[in-house]
Amino acid sequence: MAEWEPKILAFLCNWCSYGAADLAGVSRLKQPPNIRIIRIPCSGRMNPKFILQALRKGADGVWVSGCHPGDCHYIEGNYYARRKFALFKNLLEYVGIEPERLHFSWISSAEATKFAAVAKDVVESVKKVGPSSRLIKREAEVE
Amino acid sequence: MKRLVLTKDELTAWVRRMTEGVRVFAPVAVGDYDEFRLVDSDQADLIRWSYQNTRLSPKGLFHPQAERMFKFSTSKEDPEWNILKEVPKDFSPRVIVGMRPCDAAALKIMDVNFDTPEYKDPWWVRRREATTIVGLACTSPSSTCFCTSVNSGPFDTKGLDVLLVPLGDGRFLLDVVSERGEELCQQFGPGGKEADSEAIATYEGLKKKAEAALVPIGDLSPLKERDMLEFFNSPIWDEVQFACINCGVCTYLCPTCWCFDIQDEVYESEGCRLRLWDSCMFPLFTLHGSGHNPRAEKLQRVRQRFMHKLKYYVDKYGQGVACVGCGRCVQFCPVNIDIREVIRLMLVQCECAV
Amino acid sequence: MFDYTEKIREIARRLLQEKKVDGIIGFKKGTIPMMNQPVFITSPDRVELLHWDSWCGVNLANYLPKREGRIGIVAKGCDTRSIVVLSQENQVQRDQLYIIGVPCRGMLDRRKVWEVVGSTDVKGIEEGNGKVRVWGNGFDLKLERSELLQNNCVICVHRNPVVFDELVADEVEEQSVDRYGDIRNIEAMSSDEKWNLFQEIFSRCIRCYACRNACPFCYCPQCFVDESRPQWVGKTIDRTDTLTFHLLRAFHMAGRCTDCGACERACPVGIPVRLLTKKLEKDVKELYGYEAGVQLDERPPLDTYKPDDPEDFIK
Repeated sequence: MAEWEPKILAFLCNWCSYGAADLAGVSRLKQPPNIRIIRIPCSGRMNPKFILQALRKGADGVWVSGCHPGDCHYIEGNYYARRKFALFKNLLEYVGIEPERLHFSWISSAEATKFAAVAKDVVESVKKVGPSSRLIKREAEVE
Repeated sequence: MKRLVLTKDELTAWVRRMTEGVRVFAPVAVGDYDEFRLVDSDQADLIRWSYQNTRLSPKGLFHPQAERMFKFSTSKEDPEWNILKEVPKDFSPRVIVGMRPCDAAALKIMDVNFDTPEYKDPWWVRRREATTIVGLACTSPSSTCFCTSVNSGPFDTKGLDVLLVPLGDGRFLLDVVSERGEELCQQFGPGGKEADSEAIATYEGLKKKAEAALVPIGDLSPLKERDMLEFFNSPIWDEVQFACINCGVCTYLCPTCWCFDIQDEVYESEGCRLRLWDSCMFPLFTLHGSGHNPRAEKLQRVRQRFMHKLKYYVDKYGQGVACVGCGRCVQFCPVNIDIREVIRLMLVQCECAV
Repeated sequence: MFDYTEKIREIARRLLQEKKVDGIIGFKKGTIPMMNQPVFITSPDRVELLHWDSWCGVNLANYLPKREGRIGIVAKGCDTRSIVVLSQENQVQRDQLYIIGVPCRGMLDRRKVWEVVGSTDVKGIEEGNGKVRVWGNGFDLKLERSELLQNNCVICVHRNPVVFDELVADEVEEQSVDRYGDIRNIEAMSSDEKWNLFQEIFSRCIRCYACRNACPFCYCPQCFVDESRPQWVGKTIDRTDTLTFHLLRAFHMAGRCTDCGACERACPVGIPVRLLTKKLEKDVKELYGYEAGVQLDERPPLDTYKPDDPEDFIK
């Protein structure tokens, strides 16, 4: 049987990290293929529900990436996001979601090499804890 | 029918014998409260013969909080895609031991909804048919109980097949009150000995004492006699509703609340259709697809709960109120909305109208 | 605290007679021991209904959102903090309210009484000099009041109202306590232990939403639980759904929860839901130095930021 490969859902800001992913691709930078990307208009759009939904649907890891502080296209979206992320990441770890599954980064559209490096880092980190088993919504336990 | 006296050990042994032939559900302590659980022969001595009331009523054994009705596939490759297939359930014979008379009476109230000449809920009906109920008389009712005021009582046998009465000296009187109870005793001999006149006298005495301990809440006949709109338009609802926070505690703990919702859940390419408890206290309960909500206001929802139990049910079925006086909602409403007080207000406003 | 009742009635009567308010939100004596019912009094003739004792744990600020007109409200320390949060969030205007502040020595928890007496059927209870006498079928006990406090009251650091128009009595002494001992214990566990702990804790949830509805801050016109496109969380008692609900409910309280304990008090099956909200409260305090509902002119912590907020978790 082939080695298990994690599925990782990445929420990338349209104005920076999404561009970095594109640039990493066209630059032919080597990066792991485990990442599925959803483009969001700003890291500030990221709702904690999205992270939960990803985990519930079986993602082994979630990665959210936005613009560096001070670079937000909407001036301050990422500053608000940063507070939400800090609290939500802590809360999920507090109830037993392995910290290795949740990742956050600031990557500008020029930082293709950082994108590839973080992608590699995220995948390795998730691989360390193996397939996700928690918070996955399966057939409802009833009766 | 037959009346026997059993020691506690004999009773436990009887239940243990049952566990070897049928599924047995009984009240056991779960953390700081009691709940009906499936028990095996090793657990027969964990049964709580002196509990007050289980936190959740045993209605869940017949009408589960959530049950899978059908399964389906959403994969187009599956030749049976999108076809609902009934989920097999366990309808093998079972005995519920230790059910309080009020909770058993509640099943009778729910029968009018799930088992009518025109409509029969297959799962309710089959679960009812598969079940023999061994009740446990309430020798010391709680101060929140009012069963005698609502057509039931601490020794009420109407929903039961066998009634067990703790005689206070460690022994139990076993009163067989239905054919099905008779069959149970034939299948699993309870042992013990024939009740003598002294045991029967104790039983009668305990019954009188328990009934006397329950505070009557008044004559409920005006609920039936007065016009529905008089109650509906009464100003009392404004006062009753204020404190309500629209949670589902009263309806979920109630042994007679039967409302449910049906939802589909899909997991990748498979799914199931679920039936789950719903509550008239939730705004979503009556929300239409159009966006209109006929009970958008809290007052309307609170009124609905009480009117349904105390007026609509009375008028529609002619069997009294849809409440057995178990007192769960009285005790666990987080804001102390007390159905006894609501009944009193309804009766008082009624007198005023005359 | 029983002597507060007369004072509350006196203030209420005056406010209603002078037409300073349209109505008073307070408590009336409950129909069963250890419970009181929130009540809205609009006429001076009915102020005798108002009551105060150690069983007024419901947070009356819950009745404020969307209420119009001028309202008098009886409020403990935690309730006034909730009023501050609601006013920061524009759910109520401070000048709409006449706050009858109640310095509080802590509310009592009937679950603790039930545990001690071994029964949920308490026939009567009375209180005096730090002792509580409780009686029922086969028991009549004298207990220490301090041992029956609601868990949130044990670690309360705002017993006195933070905003008020009038106090019913002199302020009480504030406590200096470690609020987060239990949270730190959980934080120190492994992921597996934490997971198992919370699976167990929430396994009894019956999804009645009493915790949500008892909270003054759950005023959304539509809760995420009721959203169907997409459906974020299933509505059965499936453990994943239950935990999802509790996580999101708690997260919505981040930087807002004043630890009034109304959620835990309302739970019919005794789930310690505050374990989640208190974790968020601790993090908000440690990361952003913010305590909810203390200053009227502050912005809630998730509605603001500092350029140098901690971000060592971000790559």
